[in-house]
Amino acid sequence: MPAPHSRRLREALLAYALILPSFVVFGIFIFFPFAKNIEIPFYETRGGIGFGQNKTGGTRTWVGFDRWRDVLGSDEFRDTLWVTVKFTVLTVPTGIALGLLLAVLAHQRLRGITIYRTIFSSTVATSAAVASVIFFSLIGPQSGVFKLRIDGIPLLEHPTWALPAVAVVTTWQSLGLAFIVMSSGLQALPDEVLEAAEIDGASARRRFFRVTLPLMSPTLFFAFVVGSIAAFKTFAEIDLLTPGGGTGNNTRVLAYAVYDAGFRTPNGEVRAAVLAVGLFTCVLILTLLQLRLERRVHYVA
Amino acid sequence: MGRVALTHVTKRFGKVAAVDDVTLDIADGEFLVLLGPSGCGKSTALRMIAGLDEPTDGVIEINERRVNGIEPKDRDIAMVFQSYALYPHLTVRKNIEFPLRTRDVERRERKRLVDEAATTLGLSDLLDRKPAQLSGGQRQRVALARAIVRHPAAFLMDEPLSNLDAKLRVQTRAELVALQKRLGTTTIYVTHDQVEAMTMGDRVAILRDGRLQQLASPHEVYARPANLFVAGFIGTPPMNTFAAALRDGALTVGDDTLALPADHGPLPQGECVAGVRPEHVTLGTDGRPDGNGGLRATVEFHESLGHERHVHCRLANRDILIARLAASAAVPADGDTVRLTIAPGDLHLFDHHTGERLDAGAA
Repeated sequence: MPAPHSRRLREALLAYALILPSFVVFGIFIFFPFAKNIEIPFYETRGGIGFGQNKTGGTRTWVGFDRWRDVLGSDEFRDTLWVTVKFTVLTVPTGIALGLLLAVLAHQRLRGITIYRTIFSSTVATSAAVASVIFFSLIGPQSGVFKLRIDGIPLLEHPTWALPAVAVVTTWQSLGLAFIVMSSGLQALPDEVLEAAEIDGASARRRFFRVTLPLMSPTLFFAFVVGSIAAFKTFAEIDLLTPGGGTGNNTRVLAYAVYDAGFRTPNGEVRAAVLAVGLFTCVLILTLLQLRLERRVHYVA
Repeated sequence: MGRVALTHVTKRFGKVAAVDDVTLDIADGEFLVLLGPSGCGKSTALRMIAGLDEPTDGVIEINERRVNGIEPKDRDIAMVFQSYALYPHLTVRKNIEFPLRTRDVERRERKRLVDEAATTLGLSDLLDRKPAQLSGGQRQRVALARAIVRHPAAFLMDEPLSNLDAKLRVQTRAELVALQKRLGTTTIYVTHDQVEAMTMGDRVAILRDGRLQQLASPHEVYARPANLFVAGFIGTPPMNTFAAALRDGALTVGDDTLALPADHGPLPQGECVAGVRPEHVTLGTDGRPDGNGGLRATVEFHESLGHERHVHCRLANRDILIARLAASAAVPADGDTVRLTIAPGDLHLFDHHTGERLDAGAA
């Protein structure tokens, strides 16, 4: 029967036609730069006219994996990755715990509870930049209202305490989202299971740890992975609160290192390209982890 | 001991009274069914007994102890939910064990009690499974096991069979009654299914709009409904009702007259609503000389259910009466004029304003 066949073909063509505009946009702004980013470190370019790697003319020499090995094997990359991991550990569990605490507090049938819910979720409306400006005006070394110092060193310039300070800002800024995610997770829990636990004699504390928390595990896992991905990509707070990546590079996270190499270091573009792929790989691993493990933490009631 | 008593219990949500001045006394070991359409307040009543909701007014007692304001865990009751409300992250064993763990029952005793409950409900081979690996019927049994493991003073059950398929429901119904009789534990069972109510309950409490309509044995609820609501709610098809009038010791329906039972007691004169169960309507041909004249009606249509037939007849005043006949009975053709006869003892009379049974005082 030719009719259904040609109709299917027409539908397929129409589908491709409709997809084409976004494909073009993605291709130009995402796929092409991404492929280029991976290609750059494999070549060395000499001579020619222009800036950085975008030179025309000149010679391109295949250098294989040398650049990759140099950059990813360097102490600098290792230190940067370590700072990033520390920053993630400082921000993500704290954010989830505080978001869950606020969600539990707001999950009461009390008069005026919506006011608290609005306040708790309000930081969703702030960007990392806004949060940084607010906190910089509070604790900035020169202009801050409080000018906090530890061992006589301004907090944000302190080799040890600058990273936790930035982590506080990030946690505060992401708390609104954490609260909303945890609240919706709580609201999705079956009331009857919690009531059954109440009748079965479980105290409020026991209900929380033995029933609520395990049932929340899909939400917690989701928040953990998404939070980690966001933490790995943190840039604005680092740049605004500790310009230059902090004293002794102690707040130099991976995303900041990419920016620093690409835009602030002469001839650092190749290093930036390698670091960017390193950052991408970390985020990819986290994403795959989520996709793989997500099903395991889901309970079918 | 497991006597449960509600005295003038009311629950208001804002201005709406979900339960309105309900008084119930449930004896130790009794199986009481709370029956009614959705929104009648039966679940709210159960939740108040459980302690999940507090009454606005009135007193609830369990075991001769006033439990208003007492936490659910301290009321010595167990509850089975419609959704079963199993803990999805725990195995069957841990689910059944949960109420024992919260009460710090010693480990060996815990194991003994869980094994006992599991054996009772045929769950011994499933103890290491998670709820997601069980069928609906098995989950339902786990919920029951979790309720019986602690030997509480009373079981509260909120439509526990409604998530099962029809066949399994019938089977589980019988098993549940047998289990309750064996354990002898007071059971309060909420359902909207009149068949469950009739087959399971020692007594049935029928609720409507938060008010208790009738509290009686299944037989009495069917044979002597307290009002028009109960008459219409119990029975499939429900009781036939039609406009009538009481005059000089007889019942007039349009131009026809029906005899009343000899011992009918005092009845008010004037308009009323009469009722008769479909199986109590006998069909005769028009003009048949009959001691009782019967009601003249036209056959509208009839339905065959295999084991019986329902003949829909229209009275002169346009009220419809359904006669329930045996499958083998001769059935008049649609459009035929027939005489419907009703034995005096099978008539039910209700006040046409309040809907209350008129001969409620009579035996």
